[in-house]
Amino acid sequence: MIRRMLAADSAAAVMALIGVFVIFSSINSRFLSSLNINGIVVSASISAITGLGMTLIIAMRALDLSVGSIMGLSAIVVAELLSAGEPLLLVIPIGLLVGVGLGLFNGLLIVLLRLPSFVATLATLSMILGMELLITHGETVTIHNGVLNRMVTGSIGYHMPAAAAVAAVVFGTVGLIFYRTPFGRHVVAIGGDIRAAIGAGINVTRVTIGAFVLVGVCAALSGLMAGAELQNADSTIGAGAELTAIAVVVVGGTSLTGGRGNLFGTICASVLLAAIKAGLNVVNVSSLYEDLVFGSILIVALMVDGLRRGTRRKGMLVV
Amino acid sequence: MDDKGEAVVCATGMRKRFDGVEVLHGVDLQLWPAEVHALVGENGAGKSTIINLLSGRLRPDGGQIEFRGAPVEFRNPLAARRAGISVIAQELEVVPTLSIVENVFLGVEPTRHFLIRWAEARRRVVEVLDELGVHATPDRIVGTMSIADQQLVEIAKAIVGQFRVLIMDEPTSALNLAETERLFKIVRRLRAAGVAILYVSHRLWEVFDLADRVTVLRDGRKRLTSEIVLTDVDSVIHAMLGDKSSLIVGADVPRREAPSIGQATAPALELEAVDSGEVLRDISLNVRPGEVIGLAGVLGSGRTELLEAVYGLRTIDKGTMKLSGVPTKLTEPKEAIRHRAFLLPEDRKLEGIFAHLDVHENVILGFDPANDEAGQPAVAGVDEQAAASRRRRGLAPIQAQAERRAFDAMRKMLSIRCSGPYDRITTLSGGNQQKALFARAALSHPRVLFLSEPTRGVDVGAKEEIYSAIDAFARRGIAVVVSSSELGELLRLAGRIYVLRAGRIVAQVAAETTGEGDILKLMAG
Repeated sequence: MIRRMLAADSAAAVMALIGVFVIFSSINSRFLSSLNINGIVVSASISAITGLGMTLIIAMRALDLSVGSIMGLSAIVVAELLSAGEPLLLVIPIGLLVGVGLGLFNGLLIVLLRLPSFVATLATLSMILGMELLITHGETVTIHNGVLNRMVTGSIGYHMPAAAAVAAVVFGTVGLIFYRTPFGRHVVAIGGDIRAAIGAGINVTRVTIGAFVLVGVCAALSGLMAGAELQNADSTIGAGAELTAIAVVVVGGTSLTGGRGNLFGTICASVLLAAIKAGLNVVNVSSLYEDLVFGSILIVALMVDGLRRGTRRKGMLVV
Repeated sequence: MDDKGEAVVCATGMRKRFDGVEVLHGVDLQLWPAEVHALVGENGAGKSTIINLLSGRLRPDGGQIEFRGAPVEFRNPLAARRAGISVIAQELEVVPTLSIVENVFLGVEPTRHFLIRWAEARRRVVEVLDELGVHATPDRIVGTMSIADQQLVEIAKAIVGQFRVLIMDEPTSALNLAETERLFKIVRRLRAAGVAILYVSHRLWEVFDLADRVTVLRDGRKRLTSEIVLTDVDSVIHAMLGDKSSLIVGADVPRREAPSIGQATAPALELEAVDSGEVLRDISLNVRPGEVIGLAGVLGSGRTELLEAVYGLRTIDKGTMKLSGVPTKLTEPKEAIRHRAFLLPEDRKLEGIFAHLDVHENVILGFDPANDEAGQPAVAGVDEQAAASRRRRGLAPIQAQAERRAFDAMRKMLSIRCSGPYDRITTLSGGNQQKALFARAALSHPRVLFLSEPTRGVDVGAKEEIYSAIDAFARRGIAVVVSSSELGELLRLAGRIYVLRAGRIVAQVAAETTGEGDILKLMAG
């Protein structure tokens, strides 16, 4: 029975999300305050956007560890250009292009050198961090741009920040790409059975590069938003974000073994993790416990994934 | 497409070399529209090579392939598929995590403005599934379906691709009788629709049931092409085997007379009226120490299941199983191993070798330093407890020198060809990988050895070496059970052969007095 409930991929994340809201709001009603909800939504949107891209990568049975550093670099590039007086309308596309370029680089590394994505992106993570330090000389660059800030934190009504709208648009776009374009289905096919994918004539090289470009753009957008929210940028933006991104994908019900992806679950899990973070703060648990809690959640999510796969494999005795 | 005289595929003089060795010596093959053309031959006769040439997986080294009247050269499988040649491989090429409709249209999705038109795709899939008699919604995840249904998904894939030629490689190997019947109906319907079908099979009764024409290959040459009504089973078998039967009975092959060690002792393995699962019924057999017995039967006859049952991978529901005279009930392979029974599986890559380890590691996994005269397994009287306690396991220190000696002895005895013990096992040829597995088994001092298709994927030269290794095992007093789809192999190795059909043993024959043809007939029933 429990297994059947878990088998609905995102059910676990949705149930946990409801539970978290009920528990925290009953402990302290401040949890549901407009300010707190706003904070949750902004932070959830930022991690969800990268998470959506990461969902494709994991569905393809790959990993991208460089998303956090891509976030940082795009935020820094945007901050530097804005302080140099470039117009916002030019700066935002350039920030996103940073993501395209780095995603392309990752993709090429993986297909040309036949590196496992895990290793290739671990290397680029380090390289990109180095670039960030070279650009900023290890200092923080402030972002003085009210418009950019409002594009993330400004209200769009119903106590919702603009970041939610951005995330919704990305969700719609990535959803369309994932479920309704050949590219999206080919990503899943590669993750499900690469031999069959090749047999069906899928251009694995092109699809792989495409997926890494997509996650690169998503990460760049997340970084841009994170910088806009903080109103400054340095190499700490996006630090550890790759783990958050992987966590929201897995907690959202996408299996690390590839072959399927659940974008809605990723959104739910992003809100879940943001809510837990804010909730711990509201109930006065030291933020020092945050990582410990997140790690435990990830373990639970991986256990659930294992159980779920166990159910699927049943009946197909592996001899 | 409807003119019978016009061949869809006309291949002439197809040649193919692998590593300088020619395996296909100029074969002609014509496929006509609306015919089922059977391609038969023993393993290694060149059937798969022909499939791979026609489907763009390999390029010919000589000869020409004409498709619908024009010479073609397919650069890859996709090009062949686009042209209308579809292959249903033995190993299915479906993505288990995708739905039926996603699989059927994978790579050929109907789109408008970059978006897949799922509604249209579903509609077409429903039509095709209906036609094929599959009762499933298009959104069913393929991995949850039976192998037979997954195969039909592949056929559906071919149908929506508007193919003219369908190549089916042993399509019934994983199917039961009802599923086979259903597949035959579909094949006949496709034929009626004008499709040319190249049907590759071991099973002669299928060929005579289904095909319009048959081509027989032996040793990379075409030996026979005939209308099916103008030939008979005996002629086809003769074309398949040639004069090989006399070679087998030839004097150069040492025949095993009744083994001397075995006679007095109890059978190493004995089954009495065993039933297992839905497949095996009333199986009785025995094998004495030092004896080699063979299991013959078409794929699906229960051969594999029988090996799985005696190895603890299937439960025995009725009847008794005795190992060395002791009634035994196995629930896990671990227990079989404790009784010194070992199985060498047919799929080495999946179940046998450790691909990331070197040859040495792969071999000495089974090493037992308690008996450091490697390759001299004691037949009886080994203190099993003591031996087991000293086996390489846990934190016990590895006895590197003893291991190295054992490995070298095995390498010599089985002539495992590698440049050194630290070669990765995957760099070895199939035959040498198999020998490494034999070595591993030998180091574990088996009493009973179960071999499933011991020479699958092994080249001809290595085959004979593997046969000698098996002979050597038997001389050491090990009871060997060989299950194989190659009858020549069984006749070469075994003293007695049990023939299985539909889960029952239908005959027990002595290898000396029986030919391949007789056994084939028994297998087909």
